[in-house]
Amino acid sequence: MSDATPLLSESVPRELVAELLAIARSSGADFADVFAEHTVLRGFSYDEKRLKTGSYSVLNGVGVRAVIGEQTGYAYADGFAPADLREAARVAARIARDGAARGAPNAFRVVDSPAPFTLLEPAPLMLDEQSQVAMLRRADDAARGHDGRVREVSISLASSAKRFLIANSDGLWAEDTTYLSRLVVSALALEGDQRQEGFAAAGGCVEASYYERERTPETVAEEAAASAVLLLSAREPEAGSYPVVVCNGWGGVMVHECFGHSMEGDTIRKKSSIRATQLGEQVAARGVTIVDSGLIPHSRGSFRVDDEGTPAQRTVLVEDGILVGYLWDRLNAVLTGHAPTGNGRRASYRDYPLCRMTNTYIEPGTQSPDELIASVKRGLYCKRLGGGSVSPADGNFSFQVTEAWRIEDGKLTHPVRNATLAGNGNDAMLRIDGVANDLAIDGTTGSCGKDGQWKPVGVGQPTVRFSGITVGGTAV
Amino acid sequence: MSTRHLPPGALLAHATRAIEAARAAGATHADACAEGSRAFTVRVHGGAIETLKQSGTLGLGLRVMVDDAVGFASGTDLSPTGLEDLARRAVALARFATPDAANGTPTSAEAGEDFIGDLELFDEAALELSPDAKISMALELERIALSVDPRISRSDGSAVSSSGGSFAIANSNGVARAWEGSSVSAWVVALAEDGPKQQTGVYGVTKRHLADLPSMESLAREAGRRAVARIGARSVPSARVPVLMHPEIAAGWISEMYEAFTGEAVLKKSSWLTEQLGKMIASPLLTLVDDGTLPRGLGSSPYDGEGLRTRRNLLIDRGRCVSFAYDHYHARRAKTAPTGNGIRGFGSTPGIGFHNLYVENGTTSPQVLLSQMDRGFYYDDQGSFGFNPVTGDYSYQAQGFWVEHGEKQFPVDGVTIAGNSLEMLRHIVAVGNDLEWRSSIACPTLLIESMTVSGA
Repeated sequence: MSDATPLLSESVPRELVAELLAIARSSGADFADVFAEHTVLRGFSYDEKRLKTGSYSVLNGVGVRAVIGEQTGYAYADGFAPADLREAARVAARIARDGAARGAPNAFRVVDSPAPFTLLEPAPLMLDEQSQVAMLRRADDAARGHDGRVREVSISLASSAKRFLIANSDGLWAEDTTYLSRLVVSALALEGDQRQEGFAAAGGCVEASYYERERTPETVAEEAAASAVLLLSAREPEAGSYPVVVCNGWGGVMVHECFGHSMEGDTIRKKSSIRATQLGEQVAARGVTIVDSGLIPHSRGSFRVDDEGTPAQRTVLVEDGILVGYLWDRLNAVLTGHAPTGNGRRASYRDYPLCRMTNTYIEPGTQSPDELIASVKRGLYCKRLGGGSVSPADGNFSFQVTEAWRIEDGKLTHPVRNATLAGNGNDAMLRIDGVANDLAIDGTTGSCGKDGQWKPVGVGQPTVRFSGITVGGTAV
Repeated sequence: MSTRHLPPGALLAHATRAIEAARAAGATHADACAEGSRAFTVRVHGGAIETLKQSGTLGLGLRVMVDDAVGFASGTDLSPTGLEDLARRAVALARFATPDAANGTPTSAEAGEDFIGDLELFDEAALELSPDAKISMALELERIALSVDPRISRSDGSAVSSSGGSFAIANSNGVARAWEGSSVSAWVVALAEDGPKQQTGVYGVTKRHLADLPSMESLAREAGRRAVARIGARSVPSARVPVLMHPEIAAGWISEMYEAFTGEAVLKKSSWLTEQLGKMIASPLLTLVDDGTLPRGLGSSPYDGEGLRTRRNLLIDRGRCVSFAYDHYHARRAKTAPTGNGIRGFGSTPGIGFHNLYVENGTTSPQVLLSQMDRGFYYDDQGSFGFNPVTGDYSYQAQGFWVEHGEKQFPVDGVTIAGNSLEMLRHIVAVGNDLEWRSSIACPTLLIESMTVSGA
């Protein structure tokens, strides 16, 4: 299925890009950029033992941004018709009024930063339809075969191939292609009047062989099935505030929500984040180091250059408990006198860039995960987390814990379902009182939403202990 | 790229051509959904414009059936070669899908007569609202929010936007339908200082008609009031108490519950209502309705995403579960009639969704409900995740007020609130009379006899 997609620089040649940048700055804007994209999305959904449908979607077009001071004008056009693109540039230019035209952009220089990793045989290109359908059937068989109580299985396999071009009035020019793939299995288990669902996923910026060597359809399906079956016998959580140990890998969604969002440069510049005044202060327990890095191999949150053309980098946010740096997109970096950190990201050409996380994680400590659990007299071990959210201005966060275990006298005693963790990010980060040595970064499935824009991200951490978090439940 | 969306007739011509392309590519049945929209959004922060954004979308999705198996393709190139490419790809993908006799598209007989009348979905004034008018509205929103109280020292921005769009559906049985609508919305976020903390007050409204938009002053005052009311919020000890649900929280709950009413979840037995049709599942005080025909409703449309007429569907009638919602495919599977709930955008195949989902008004004012509460929780803000669609289990991070002797005592945060939807539905002891439409979901204040608040 090698579909020859047109080179973007053929659809949007340099002369046209230069013209669009000049139009965007024709009424006084001090900066402009052009983002062109051609994305192909493919997917199969398998449900009720049927291959329900195969789908193919193309998303292509160009967005033009004009910036003057703190102000942004943005417009986009679907497709690459030069007349539509010029109109988009004229609309974006209107953010600046009555100013002088800034003329032609600087001569283009190609951003040649190295890729953090390379894909030889990307899954979205190499897996043909027959192999994808075979993977879905294998996952369905494995989930149903795992336990007779698994009564329904839904599986989706989706991929994207995104080619993009970014150029700006400073003369930056960057082109790249990113490939993402994701397999998601949901299993429904029924027993008497009990009904529970389990999920598992695999994927990232992966090679086709990943699904045979690292996470096979069977592995993913059995995880989903095992979780659903386990939850049939789980108990409701005890309501209250008590010690909580959160698993490594996907458990890092806690640090993403509790902390990462409040470190994004837009909220720092505008001082709507409580973190804006905390540079140099202790914001987490000693021993806690927090990093955002776009360089993690094969994670969904990684890339060579961000959606403004800035090379991906590793940014330390907290070192040994002290807040040492923030995340910056270009606009907020320029306005505050910082250098962009490779965190300017947009969902597509239909959106202007926002300051966003890439892969955000806590560095490993020295204890073993078993030691952390053994140290808790009465608490909760969170093994599988679902979605989470935060309100960055007030710091209130919450997470769904889809599968947890009760800890009694340092031992896991019984499974717990439907726990929700809640609290304030400022407070929760200071309550981390144990960091294990088992760092894992989950770059398979995370998507982060901000202002209606969804972007793939990675999250990670070693097993972490919080001295106390409010756990929602129905048992008092 | 003009500032106006493509008119419905022109859009329908694209959809009809896509059906011809699908037939030529070998499809036995096909339907096409085309969307064209234009939007303009102004965001303001700190007394100045932050962003001006113009959006324009024109796209088409083509669902084909080849021997009862489905393939789908979508894109934004509506030229003859673009449509031929989509048709060829959709037909090729259908070869991999499992044939299923329930696949199909509505016949002219199923689609019925054309809708005659006016749902008042389109407002010329909303589209003619100029960028400058939007800018001054957004500036006013922020300025007034900042003036509500000296403790509101900054905003997290305000926004005003308007959009217009057309929607067209055509299928190989000759069904061809198109319509258009508009919307205009405004919101603002006020931030109040609270010692080392900061409190958020968010308020906004979306309407079809500009004339229905409340004054900027009333929106801004509500956002400011919300931020200030949170100052000094603290946790409370865990307890099982009566809970008075603010309309926004109640609306969030009914929209999460909707999935359990979809024919798809019921057929798969992944709905906690699977065995409940015809049974009393809620307090007799509760009637839950989905109505696609409400004049000026944000979720209203004359037809659904498969070209079928929309209707008013009773889901819960005075406590009894009386119907589920279906698109064409799942209705055939369940051997029942579609309910006009096939919902889709051009980029995907239809799924089952609601139009305007609401609980019918009760008789008691929310003030009276509060005054009758001896000790409990007034629940008016929440986190984003906390609902289990398979079990109906409910557990959210919550904010609100502690209530004693019929009065709010102090603001509360750092707690969660939990229960199970079936139990919560049965324990609704009062329904307020304050139903108000601010989006496509609405619910009056609900009083629930007992839920678990988990705190310090």
